Amino acid sequence: MNDPLANASAFVLLLAITAYSTAGGVDFGAGIWDLFAGRGPQSRRPRELIDHAMAPVWEVNNVWLVLGIVLCWTGFPLLFQSVFAALYPLFTLALIGLILRGAFFAFRHIAADPRAHYAADLVFGLSSLLTPFFFAACLGAIASGRLAFDQMSVAFGLVSLAATAFSGASFLVGDARRYGFDDLVAYFRRRAILAGFVLITIGTLALGAIGLEAPALLRSMLAGVGLPFVLATMILTPLVMLLLWRRRYVWYRVLTVTGIGSMVFAWGFAQSPYLLPGQLTISQAAAPHSTQLLLLAVAAVLVLVIGPAMALLYYLDQRGALEPPEA
Amino acid sequence: MESMLVLAGEALLPSRIQMAFTLASHVLLVPLGVALPTLTLLMEGIGIWRKDPVALTIARRWSVVMAVQFAVGAVTGTILSFEFGILWPRMMGRFGAAFGLGFAIEGLAFFMEAIFISIYLYGWNRLRPRAHFLVGLTLPPAGLLGAFGVLSANAWMNTPGGVTIDSGRVVDVDVLQALFTRALGYEFWHFLIALYMTAGFVVASVYAVAWLRGRRDHYQRLAFAVPFTIAAALTPVQLLVGDLSARAIASDQPAKFAAVEITWTTRDHNPEVLGGYIDDSGEVHLGIAIPSLDSLLVGYSPNTVVRGLTSFAADSRPNTLEVNIVHLAFDVMVGLGSAGAALSAWFLWILLRRRRLPESRWFYRLAALSGIGSYVAVESGWITTEVGRQPWIVSGTLRVSDAVTDAPANFVWTSLIALVVIYALIAFFFVTLLIKLAERWRREDSGVAAAPEMGVPYGPRSVPGE
Ligand code: HDD
Ligand code: HEM
Ligand code: HEM
Repeated sequence: MNDPLANASAFVLLLAITAYSTAGGVDFGAGIWDLFAGRGPQSRRPRELIDHAMAPVWEVNNVWLVLGIVLCWTGFPLLFQSVFAALYPLFTLALIGLILRGAFFAFRHIAADPRAHYAADLVFGLSSLLTPFFFAACLGAIASGRLAFDQMSVAFGLVSLAATAFSGASFLVGDARRYGFDDLVAYFRRRAILAGFVLITIGTLALGAIGLEAPALLRSMLAGVGLPFVLATMILTPLVMLLLWRRRYVWYRVLTVTGIGSMVFAWGFAQSPYLLPGQLTISQAAAPHSTQLLLLAVAAVLVLVIGPAMALLYYLDQRGALEPPEA
Repeated sequence: MESMLVLAGEALLPSRIQMAFTLASHVLLVPLGVALPTLTLLMEGIGIWRKDPVALTIARRWSVVMAVQFAVGAVTGTILSFEFGILWPRMMGRFGAAFGLGFAIEGLAFFMEAIFISIYLYGWNRLRPRAHFLVGLTLPPAGLLGAFGVLSANAWMNTPGGVTIDSGRVVDVDVLQALFTRALGYEFWHFLIALYMTAGFVVASVYAVAWLRGRRDHYQRLAFAVPFTIAAALTPVQLLVGDLSARAIASDQPAKFAAVEITWTTRDHNPEVLGGYIDDSGEVHLGIAIPSLDSLLVGYSPNTVVRGLTSFAADSRPNTLEVNIVHLAFDVMVGLGSAGAALSAWFLWILLRRRRLPESRWFYRLAALSGIGSYVAVESGWITTEVGRQPWIVSGTLRVSDAVTDAPANFVWTSLIALVVIYALIAFFFVTLLIKLAERWRREDSGVAAAPEMGVPYGPRSVPGE
């Protein structure tokens, strides 16, 4: 029953989900902090930084999502069908969040009237909660094997919100440092540490929920293939908090992303070889070999062509090379 | 159980409307998404090699429009891909392994586009002109590849192929055959030309309006002439390619063709009916019938036999309403194409004979309408393709009603309403943003200077705290 091609495609699918969770998470996290920035004049500076931090990369993130979904329906049509037939309400809510967010992010740049501006901020912030929660809730419903909105979905959704807020704050520290805004460095540093505590608390509770709802999954997370990734998350999250606490601004962003990526991996590996625990394995759901080969070829081209291009984009961006001149 | 079935049936109508609405909205963004990079690069090239700063300014402004519109395209496109699962889960479960292939390629292409658009847009100041131009050169092929992927998926729905089915499940896929089905040959070229034509007319129409308002400088002429010339050169080609499409569907997708021509019974000496509609008994009302022309167009002889709607079982062909929609849409497409060709001939005549741009107000009035006209033509073409395929989602293989979701009808109606509202907001914000940009650029042209991208949400950053 071992099917290396299908396993490879499943791994690529997991990579796409991970990429969206981390890159998208940073972005949605910024949106969450926008929501919590409050109303008065003191909210202006954090908001401006958030705006600024989001502009260049955000539409690239959607591509990960699209890639994941295309991989899913082409590579694993049966999984796609059962997941969508059962979870369409959750996906719809996540999507509504996604487009509202995009639309109102644009709108707040053109809203002149302060009340309209405030409304735009609010919709933007709230939709930044909606999307990560409901996408992760879908993963929770898959992980339980029941494809229903229950404790597992809520647990996954909450972990996702906490992780998103954590990574958003951690990256905003970086952006604030780049511009030398010391007040904002302090502002987001405190929030990153706070979000870290929340993430650890909710993460632990979520493990408990997984234990109750899907003991087999918990077992392979704590005693099977998932273990290294669970450990990585458990070590890296406090480590990032410590670095920020001590104001040692090195590696913290890479470690944030690695920690959150490990969380996604922990789930993915722990439920292999099942795509839907107890119901559908990777090889049962897999499309014919020829299709898998094409998908893997596409993935290879992606890595070869897009990898360097992405790296270039992030490099230019991080060096500030993409700034307009001081007009 | 019975009520479940009734509910499933009821979700069909809102699902079809939602799919049509979101696709029709998304496709409005596609022409500029695919073809504007080429126009922009052309302009940038003119700027670099002719050392024309005006051309560079134009290119730079177009690139901003490109970015904003890419962002909207990305959001509406993401919705579409989820909709395949939300609305048509059984189609994906059965045929995802074949139908999805095109989208895998599309995904790759959009990835490249998204990244290179960012670098291109942000690189105006920081990259050397030639390096910047080189980065831009990746955009047209990426757009082309993306259009290929989507069209390949759509062509597969029209003329499915390359799959081996065993007891309802796809057991083998011939990747090349599934990617390159018969319909791709004509759909791809016809659509590609439509994209470049549309982008050309749309961009030019903005500067036609500027001409009508009295702006007649080098900037306006250049920004009008380059895109309009491209569109004008492509329009006659499009008529030929469209004609090939029509002939091809006469044999590949005969039910669609019968709907296009409102042909009720199979016959020779079939007339071509312009306008008009058909009723449930096959009677054609209104409209102008040109005797034998349809037979002549299909087989170059009045004796050519053309299949009529009644040669298909009533539940395997579009119903009367759908037939009339298809026929009307087709006539609109052809009518607009012909009008565009006439306008193009006018332009090319003056350009080639007198070596200058037209100076007639009427010409610019029509040119100002050409942008909207092309959008309408593109939408009509898609309505012809999609409604003409009814009642099949995969031609001859899977019915739309068998593919639709089990979600309650109310759920789909609700999401449809939500989407219509949100899309209306997006359209409003999008247009407001473009108008604000245009106003600012006009102000700048009369003095004050700033980077064209300032203040664009998806563009490069402004320095915070200023
Ligand atoms: C600028 C736009 C434009 C113009 C001027 C035309 N078309 Fe078109 N047409 C399209 C834009 C388009 C399109 C939007 O691009 C479609 C939709 C699907 C496709 O492949 O192309 C299309 C589809 C389409 C189809 C259906 C193909 C299928 O279902 O597989 C036919 C038969 C024609 N066209 C025929 C024509 C003819 C005979 C034209 C003029 C003489 C014409 N088109 C002008
Ligand atoms: C981009 C321009 C397109 C437009 C404007 C468009 C328009 C439409 C319309 C009007 C319908 C409803 C037909 C009816 O129910 O009577 C429809 C249905 C549909 N289209 Fe398209 N379409 C486009 C492209 C595509 C492409 C590229 C694909 C897939 C690759 C596609 C897939 C579908 C599906 C799955 C349905 C639903 C089932 C059906 O009604 O046949 N469409 N589209
Ligand atoms: C004729 C049909 C279509 C063409 C040629 C087309 C082309 C494009 C283009 C050029 C873009 C980039 C955005 C822009 O530049 O405006 C885009 C975005 C997108 N389209 Fe379409 N599209 C079509 C229909 C569809 C359909 C049916 C789907 C459904 C799966 C889809 C999915 C997407 C997605 C997911 C994106 C976002 C990609 C990104 O983030 O870069 N498109 N499309």
